[in-house]
Amino acid sequence: MSTVLEQIEQQIAQLSSRTVKKNTGNIRAIADGVAKIDGLSDVMYNEMVQFPGGAIGIALNLEEDEVGCVILGDISNLKEGDEVTTTGKLLSVPVGKALLGRTVDSLGNPVDGKGPIDAKETYPVERIAPGVVVRKSVSQALFTGIMAIDSMIPIGRGQRELIIGDRGTGKTTITIDTIINQAKINKVGLASGDPNFRPVYSIYVAIGQKNSNIVRTISALEAAGALEFTIIVAAPAADNPANLYIAPYSGAAMGEWFMENGMDALIVYDDLSKHAVAYRQISLILKRPSGREAYPGDVFYLHSRLLERAARLEGKGSLTALPIIETLAGDVSAYISTNVISITDGQIFLETDLFNQGIRPAISVGLSVSRVGSAAQIKATKQVGGKLKGELAQFRELAAFAQFGSDLDAKTKAQLDRGNRIVELFKQPAYSPLPIELQVAVLFAMQKGFFEPVEIKRVVDAASSLKSFFTTRKDPLLSEIRTKAVLDKDLEAKLQAACEEWKSSYTA
Amino acid sequence: MAANAKTAQLLARQLFKMSFADGAVSAERVGGVLAYIEKHRPASPMVVLKAYSRLIAAELARGEAVVEHAGAVNDAMLAAIAAAMSRRYGRKVAARPKANAALLAGLRVRVGDDVYESSIASQLAALALSI
Repeated sequence: MSTVLEQIEQQIAQLSSRTVKKNTGNIRAIADGVAKIDGLSDVMYNEMVQFPGGAIGIALNLEEDEVGCVILGDISNLKEGDEVTTTGKLLSVPVGKALLGRTVDSLGNPVDGKGPIDAKETYPVERIAPGVVVRKSVSQALFTGIMAIDSMIPIGRGQRELIIGDRGTGKTTITIDTIINQAKINKVGLASGDPNFRPVYSIYVAIGQKNSNIVRTISALEAAGALEFTIIVAAPAADNPANLYIAPYSGAAMGEWFMENGMDALIVYDDLSKHAVAYRQISLILKRPSGREAYPGDVFYLHSRLLERAARLEGKGSLTALPIIETLAGDVSAYISTNVISITDGQIFLETDLFNQGIRPAISVGLSVSRVGSAAQIKATKQVGGKLKGELAQFRELAAFAQFGSDLDAKTKAQLDRGNRIVELFKQPAYSPLPIELQVAVLFAMQKGFFEPVEIKRVVDAASSLKSFFTTRKDPLLSEIRTKAVLDKDLEAKLQAACEEWKSSYTA
Repeated sequence: MAANAKTAQLLARQLFKMSFADGAVSAERVGGVLAYIEKHRPASPMVVLKAYSRLIAAELARGEAVVEHAGAVNDAMLAAIAAAMSRRYGRKVAARPKANAALLAGLRVRVGDDVYESSIASQLAALALSI
């Protein structure tokens, strides 16, 4: 008991007895997580303000007579006339490796019931993005484990690649697969003891999602053993809009810590459509002038300043961003979609029709692009999958025309046949990312025509047989592909021999 | 409605600017403004008057140091506080005592939005927040 008293006395002694100057104001009106405050004459834009009862706010509207603040935390006890004080600080969140494996709210407080987080540092939620001098171009691959993406729309470390599509087309699944794949690569890399290996840590920011969906995502990550390399920032739909607004910035701050400390991180914003809606709500309550679709004028800046924080830094690490946008009826030309498309370095467009046809991941090859990723793609993938995107796009065009006529020449038939096989080959179940070396082996087999004798309906089956053949019997060859990352003549010969061996055993 | 409120705010601000004499709010001028509003009723007199009242109250608070105290304060102490605040803000600030037992011990001086506090209550509150 005496030690407890000593602790309190120590704390009292630490408190300064000097006079403290505070700038104060009073709540004039409060509604929907936004407070209008009289006073606060010294408050600065984006400054954190203290409300009674421990709630904090951020000053967003500095007007002549009043200050508009969004409130983070419990607002049920606040009332008109309550005193509000400035803090002189920007909103900060805990950062560091202590957060890995944890689920936190938008202020970095744990919400997973696993106890307090022992974070040593905090980073401001709002930060200026790195400038051009400190940036380095994207040249290192970030493997998603999804064959269609890694071969046709490659992503590099430090890139911003948008994932866009209607609801229920597998947008979140792609990002979860990517996170799981990073964890798998991390485990292999860390076990190898390679001093040059750079693990990728992941941050998943859930904005405006149902709690049940967030739990499902956490369970999927936990089941795949990926949670230990992942931080979950949860701002569920039931949170007030201010929390939804701040969540992606909090996640970005956590990711920046890894980047600034020479590590690589991946951040998923799921999704920015709901983020824009939360910001619109706040802006309308703050009586900011509204523009197109009632969004405020600075909705572009809302996302550009967030996504610009993803970068690859000279002499430091990188932060790769995978923002998600949900479209309505496949309309990519909506306001927020076009904004984010123009900010990012490419997009992966998922189509409902493809999804319903059973082509999963339902990636639309024609509308998907990676503007910088090809520089990051490893040579082995380029060698086996360099022409795939063109071939598949051509196939889709031919397939559309083939519907009108029954008489097709042999060349067109062959192209259609090959296209169908590629489509089948790219089908991949959820939460089972493929290692890049295995992708190279499968694509090599496809390029060399090993799937041609196989009936189209049985291509998926044949591909899984080939995968298990390689993983169980050709592990040294896979390791060689992984380490060399390029197919030289020797490796090509080995792959050819292995495929022949598989062919004889499969057809037999 | 929003446009009306904006116009009322603007009018209140204009009337506020007219309420000064020699750099300070003048009772005579405020009386004149009130008489003007009575005579030429604006579209929403209540909103105008409330906004005007808020501006005047904020201005008056800037010229007054409300000294809240838990123990006794004498005139010399009040004069010293008034002099210190006048120096700090570069304008005349008068001190007004106000007893507040909730402070437990010490002083809290409020000049406009600024609060200078050295009281046991505030230190305990800071301690409670830090635990």
